[in-house]
Amino acid sequence: MAEERTLILVKPDGVACGHIGEVITRLERRRYKIEALKVLNASDEQLRAHYSALVDKPYFPGIQKFMQSGPIVAMIASGTDIVNVFHKMVGATVPSEAAIGTIRGDFGRSWGPGPIQNVVHSSDSIESAQREIPIWFPEAK
Amino acid sequence: MDHEERTLILVKPDGVANGHIGEIITRLERRRFSIDALKVVNATKQQLGRHYAHLLDKPFYHEIEDYMLEGPIVAIIASGTGIVDVFHKMAGQTDPGEADCGTIRGDYGRDWDDGIIRNVVHSSDSPASAENEITIWFPELTK
Repeated sequence: MAEERTLILVKPDGVACGHIGEVITRLERRRYKIEALKVLNASDEQLRAHYSALVDKPYFPGIQKFMQSGPIVAMIASGTDIVNVFHKMVGATVPSEAAIGTIRGDFGRSWGPGPIQNVVHSSDSIESAQREIPIWFPEAK
Repeated sequence: MDHEERTLILVKPDGVANGHIGEIITRLERRRFSIDALKVVNATKQQLGRHYAHLLDKPFYHEIEDYMLEGPIVAIIASGTGIVDVFHKMAGQTDPGEADCGTIRGDYGRDWDDGIIRNVVHSSDSPASAENEITIWFPELTK
């Protein structure tokens, strides 16, 4: 039986600024396992499924535009308690509020009005991870 | 579509087991090469036979095969002007004991008593081999 898994996205800002390796290294340093990796351009359908809770919000088109501004990297990583631990490693949603030492606190900043560019996404619960993994890795069981 | 030169990189089982996937990608990103595709995969004997076709007849082929089957590997397509030669230099000498410091093999590899060369990464040695190797590891991108 596999250990707990989480779904991570390196968002277009993280890819464009050259932080794919850094995000993976932070997982490797803590000895989590990288189970799957993929470079892709997010489709409308994938974003609507991934952000299903936000689809009706007035700011959803902004999120969609940001998430389609360049390629992203999708990742499945695994290990004991990884969902909570990686969520902590990512930091607060708003980069200017994220603690130093977190991914967003080290690589993000706020940019005035418009969608939040916060470098990575990570699943916020085991249930979300199970829901999100098939959106980005439909070929994985 | 017109694209820049591409290369095929494998992070071998020792590189994955020792946690160097991110480091290798970071070295590409620092020089502003583009990461076009990524995949975690367990190599099959068939893929290895095609990838190492020129070594199939060698007496040490089974050692290469055993080594490459020790665990998952990460396949990468990266692109940019002159990347084949540049990344080949960044990987360093085949034998990690001879690789210069500052190269991937010189920084993360060493020789072992069992004689198996565990050299952390593979990189294509020419644009033609890169295109051939991409068909082996990313068949779904090259239909």
